[in-house]
Amino acid sequence: MRLVLALASLRRNGARTILAVLGVAIAAAMLLDMVMLSTGMRESFRQLLLSRGFQMRLTPRGTMPFDTEASIAAASNVTAQLRARPEVDLVSPVLGASVHVLRGDSSITTFALGVDPQAQGDYQLAEGRDATEPNALIANDDFLRATNAKVGDTLHVAAGFDPQLRTHSGERALVVAGRAKFLYLATRQLAVAIPLRTLQQMTGAAREDRVSLFMVRLRDSKKVADVTKWIRTALPTIDVISTADAMARVDERLGYFRQLSAILGAVSLVVGFLLVTTLVTVSVNERVGEIVVMRAIGVSRVHVVQQIVLEGTALSVTGAVLGTGLGLITARYLNTILSRFPGLPAAIDFFLFQPRAAWTAIGLLTACGVLAGLYPAWRAASLPLAGTLREEAVA
Amino acid sequence: MSVLVRARDVRRDYRLEREAVHALRGVSLEIEKGEYLAIVGPSGCGKSSLLNLLGAIDAPTSGSIEIEGRNVGTLGDREVTEFRLRHIGFVFQRFYLLPILTARENVELPMAEAGVSAAQRRERSSELLRYVDLADRVKHRPAQLSGGEQQRVAIARALANRPSLLLADEPTGELDARTGQEIISLFSRLNADGTTVVVVTHDEGLARAARRVVHMRDGEIVHDEVPGG
Amino acid sequence: MVALLLALQLRTITIDQRLAADAHVGVGDTAMVSASPGSGGDSVVIAGIIGRRADPSEIARSDYRVHLHLDQLQRLIGYGDRVDRFAIATHGDPAADSAVRTINDAAFGFRAYRSRDIAVETSETFAVVSRFHRAIGVITIVASAVFLLCILLLKIDERRRDVAALRLLGISRRSVMLTVVLEAALVSVIGSGVGVVIGWVTSAAVNWHYQARYQTPLRFALVTGDIVLFAVTLSLVLGVVAGALAARRLVRTHPLVLLGR
Repeated sequence: MRLVLALASLRRNGARTILAVLGVAIAAAMLLDMVMLSTGMRESFRQLLLSRGFQMRLTPRGTMPFDTEASIAAASNVTAQLRARPEVDLVSPVLGASVHVLRGDSSITTFALGVDPQAQGDYQLAEGRDATEPNALIANDDFLRATNAKVGDTLHVAAGFDPQLRTHSGERALVVAGRAKFLYLATRQLAVAIPLRTLQQMTGAAREDRVSLFMVRLRDSKKVADVTKWIRTALPTIDVISTADAMARVDERLGYFRQLSAILGAVSLVVGFLLVTTLVTVSVNERVGEIVVMRAIGVSRVHVVQQIVLEGTALSVTGAVLGTGLGLITARYLNTILSRFPGLPAAIDFFLFQPRAAWTAIGLLTACGVLAGLYPAWRAASLPLAGTLREEAVA
Repeated sequence: MSVLVRARDVRRDYRLEREAVHALRGVSLEIEKGEYLAIVGPSGCGKSSLLNLLGAIDAPTSGSIEIEGRNVGTLGDREVTEFRLRHIGFVFQRFYLLPILTARENVELPMAEAGVSAAQRRERSSELLRYVDLADRVKHRPAQLSGGEQQRVAIARALANRPSLLLADEPTGELDARTGQEIISLFSRLNADGTTVVVVTHDEGLARAARRVVHMRDGEIVHDEVPGG
Repeated sequence: MVALLLALQLRTITIDQRLAADAHVGVGDTAMVSASPGSGGDSVVIAGIIGRRADPSEIARSDYRVHLHLDQLQRLIGYGDRVDRFAIATHGDPAADSAVRTINDAAFGFRAYRSRDIAVETSETFAVVSRFHRAIGVITIVASAVFLLCILLLKIDERRRDVAALRLLGISRRSVMLTVVLEAALVSVIGSGVGVVIGWVTSAAVNWHYQARYQTPLRFALVTGDIVLFAVTLSLVLGVVAGALAARRLVRTHPLVLLGR
């Protein structure tokens, strides 16, 4: 009966209810987006880091992966040491460099990864075969579009360029063996993968037996601390970045968005609360006579409050559910804006949908709806019966 | 007949800004089961205040009111609300039906509060609406009913939980003469069927229909008569 | 002290505020700079500490900035007689355009660019954040508009008995509408005034917090005259629209119906 009364009260003034539901829906959408923003990029980044199972990244001391041109010397020796560890399952050495695809008088510069195809964790092959031959090259879609190349084509690629003499060095003819999606690159970034040895040879003495980064996969994730400790002792010129470390550094870089999301989320909650409070208060004020009569005929104060709170809750829940759909649409739009963040992997989503986020938003707004109705409901249910009946009769 | 209601030296004072209004000045009254009592008097004599006390809607400033042996003035809010729900039926001058509910739903409301099952509520509400000659209007909302029909629904609602006492405050006040007469007849029928009825009224016809008339003036009972007796 | 160290022929460097704070060093302290960790380098003296610029691209960057004499850095990193770029100041815009043309015509192995063109390309981070803020701003404005409409309609609807009484007294529909619209407009203006004050206080708090957090003089939130004018105007328009809509509904309803008869 209470639910019947609550819904009937909301239906009584349909236009007003619709507008209020719309207002709550917008607040819910904003709240959902902010909850998604606060947790999404972190979770998205974590998923990306662990997508191929590599729990550790090893970089030159004092640097982050590909932040500088620094590299790790004696890479083959380091690889052997790492592979000798029983905890280590897989070691992927990676060298980063810029290469130039020669086309007549001009060239197209692209980012190149020198990888070991048996151990690589940087790309997912979509077409063709992997770069197992020394002269093979794997490319992403943006590169193929920019160079107008396709799988099977031969390209002339150089690793060095002297701007004064306008000459290239370290030139090789490479065959496009396959097309792949590169996991860690930014949107629209041109990229290729070449066998590590080939790229080292192309870049010459400066990069002989050097890599930019090792990715390490352990058999047991719990051994990260132990292996880190060993590396710091045995290989002091190398920094170890665990998944947790990487996320902590990303948190610092993108901490601004978390704070923004907290502020805007709080504002959305407050506005949603105010809206429901106003609606319930106005609705209760209009029905003081009815409420007092209900009390007079024997409906308890608690039940009167319950009925009014139910109205606020119904409003909030309806708005929250609608807002979830609206929030997913706006999140998509906002994500396309933020995905252009320079230097950030294209695979990162700032607004990652997790069911927990939706439940959090709906739960918070429902709680708001309950609280918003409590005070006006209790006030109305506590009015002195005789006096109020008299005033209503006079009015 | 046994005494259903016993009011002893009841006073009710209100504070209006700086002055005190003495609505009731030591009223004592006994009402027996099955009585049909009308309380009459000029405006401001305290008759509605007395009715509110008898209906446990208000509490006396001093004195006591016992209904079915219970001193309702000393009960807490929850207990007195429960008491009103199960023992007292109240009919208001302005009907006070819930406009968002149908006639049937308005009648069922006190029963739902009392925990009566849906099936039993339906049966009882049908019975009551038949009793007040509104069997064909059960699905109508108050806006679709005339004043007299609304008041009959209000009476049916007041009877929902089989109260021992039916109170009515100016039940014909908002009605035309003909419709008012229908309501008067209904009250007479209710009393003939065993319901104890107390009405506050300016309506002479309603006062004449009662079997006992209490006259009030300035917060006191000045005359208590059984007309023609 | 610096003179003494100069006499010892130690070169000087400047470092940024963050490095000074994190490494607990200050002016006059000596340090060792080298091209790679653990390798030999030069002993230098910290001659100055540089504050961060109000540059959005520096926000949240955790790298430190050190300024050395050019020849010393070239020698340390084995760069030879090379630089990454030249920055050139000219006598005004026309001279800059002319200089760019002249240099590019004669350039061999390098190009000249206007600083503002470089800034556009390198401030992509800021551009992304700016676009994001604008999108959030638009959503917030739309949301605020709906909230404002909703609340004003509710409050005006609450006045139905007053409206009914005025109409029963013989006050014309037009007069009643004008009264209600005026009231809504007044509420909107006063409300937006209060909102401007709250916004100004909030932006001050935001700037204080983020300037401390990122150690930058950059201002993150600005309340300008244009923004205030926009907010007040929009509130007023919405208030008038809400007032008119609600009033129109009320005056078209018969007064007795408004009173519930």
